[in-house]
Amino acid sequence: MSAGSEVFAGASSPYGVSLPIFEGPLDLLLHLIRSNEVDVTEIPIAVVADQYVQTLELMRDLHLDVAGEYLVMAATLAWIKSRMLLPPDPSSISDEQGDPRAELVARLLEYQRFKEAAAELAERPWLGRDVYPAHTPGPEPEPEAEREIEVGLFQLVDAMRRVLAQAGHTGAAHEVEVETVTVRERMLVVMEALRGREACQFEELVREGDLWTSRPIFVATFLALLELTRLEAIGLYQGIDDLGTPSGPIHVRRRQVDAAEDWLERVSELM
Amino acid sequence: MEREQQRRVVEAVILASPEPIAPARIAAVMPRCNPSQVRALVKELNDEYSEARRAFEIWEVAGGYQMRSLPEFSPWLKQVQKTRPLRLSAAALETVAVVAYRQPVTRAEIEHIRGVDCGAVLKSLLERQLVRIAGHREVPGRPIVYATSRRFLEVFGLSKLGELPSLRAIEALGESEDESAPGEAVSEESLDAPEVAAESDADGAATEGEVGEEPAPNIH
Repeated sequence: MSAGSEVFAGASSPYGVSLPIFEGPLDLLLHLIRSNEVDVTEIPIAVVADQYVQTLELMRDLHLDVAGEYLVMAATLAWIKSRMLLPPDPSSISDEQGDPRAELVARLLEYQRFKEAAAELAERPWLGRDVYPAHTPGPEPEPEAEREIEVGLFQLVDAMRRVLAQAGHTGAAHEVEVETVTVRERMLVVMEALRGREACQFEELVREGDLWTSRPIFVATFLALLELTRLEAIGLYQGIDDLGTPSGPIHVRRRQVDAAEDWLERVSELM
Repeated sequence: MEREQQRRVVEAVILASPEPIAPARIAAVMPRCNPSQVRALVKELNDEYSEARRAFEIWEVAGGYQMRSLPEFSPWLKQVQKTRPLRLSAAALETVAVVAYRQPVTRAEIEHIRGVDCGAVLKSLLERQLVRIAGHREVPGRPIVYATSRRFLEVFGLSKLGELPSLRAIEALGESEDESAPGEAVSEESLDAPEVAAESDADGAATEGEVGEEPAPNIH
C-alpha cells in the first residue's frame, strides 16, 4: 500500500525527487528489503542500514516529519550492524549467540502479515463504498426516543464537550466563587428529575431555566450520570439518524422500578 | 403457511429491517418456522435473484441478514449517496487489521507490531465505531484492550470474526516460499491469547451480541 502514494519534492526543482509515503520504520525497512530483492531473513544489514539512514535524510530534506520511531530503528540497525561485525563471544550465555537480526526479522515478518491482512480487508466489498443496504426509513421519521440505541462513551463525551462549549458563552466563566457540589448531590438531582417520569434529556439536567449551570456542576452531573448508569439506576440513550449514526440529544432513562428503588441504598454504601 | 408465502415473508422482513436481522428473529414472526428453515429460504431467494439478474442480494453480516446492492453497482450508487464513500487510511486499515486478528489487544501491542504510535488512529477508529474498548487487561497498569465492533463486521461484510481470511502463512519477502525459523517463533508467540477482564459496559450497543465472545480467527 505504501508504494501507492508518493510525495513529490519541489515541483520547482529541476530534478524532482519522489519518495513513497511510509507507514513507519518497519514499512520503510520492508520497502528497502524489497527494492534490494533479498529475502527478509537474509537482510544485508550494512547495505540496508545505510539506505535507511539515507532515506531518513531525504525525508528530512523534503521537510517531512521524521518521527522518533524512525530514529529508534536507525539505532537498532546500527547496533545489529556492529554486532554482525564482531566474532561470536565464546564466553557469553547461549541465548546471546543467535543471529542479531532474528528479532528484527520476526517483527518484519509479523508486520508484513498484517499489511497483507489490511490489503485483504481493503479489497472486501465495503458497506458505504462498494455495497449499500436496502434503505428503508419508513413512511415518516420516527420520534427519536422510539429508535433509541445505547450511547457509547464517545457520544457522551461529545455531548459534554458541546455543553461546555456553550457554557463558555454565558459569561459565567469569570466567576471565581468556589462552589461546593458533590457527585452524590447531583445523583439526587438526576433521580429527582426522573421522579414521576421515565426519561429526560441530558442537557435539561445541566440547565437552570435558560442558563447553563456552572462548570463544576456540569462535571459533577456528568460523573453522577456515569455513576448512576453503573448502578443500573438509569440508562443513557441517543437517537440515530438516517445513516445509523448516533445523533441528537442524549436521553436519560430510568431503569425498571425495582432497580431504581434501591439505588439510594447502594449510593449510601459507596459514599 | 405455504412455503412460497414463507419465502415472501422472509423477503419482506429482511427488506424492511433497518439493520441486519438474525435468522431466529425472522423465524419468530412465523408459526412453525425455525432458523435453519429461514436460512434455506434465504438461499432460495438469493438463487432466485441471481437467476433473474437482480442488482441486489441478501448478505449475511454480523450474524444477520441484510439486503444489499451488488458491488458492481457502486459507481452509480456513489453518486446518489448523501454521504461520501467510506475511506480508511493505510494506517487505519493496518490498525484495524491488527485489532481484528489479535483482539483483545492493548495499544502497546498494536504499536509494537506496527512500529509507530497508534493513539490518533485508534481514536479515529473508536469514533467511527469500527473498534471498541473491550475492558482492561488484568496486569499492572490495567491497560485498555481493544476489539472490533459489530459495525466492523457490517462494514467489511463479515458474518462473524471467524470468517476473516486467515493471515497468510508466513512468507518471506521476495516471493520466497520457505517458512523460516524466526517466522515460526512469531506464530508460536501469537497463540497466547491474552486474558481479558470482564468487560465494562461503557461501550453500550457495540458490545451486544456474540461479537465480543467470538474467538479471533486462526492466524495460521
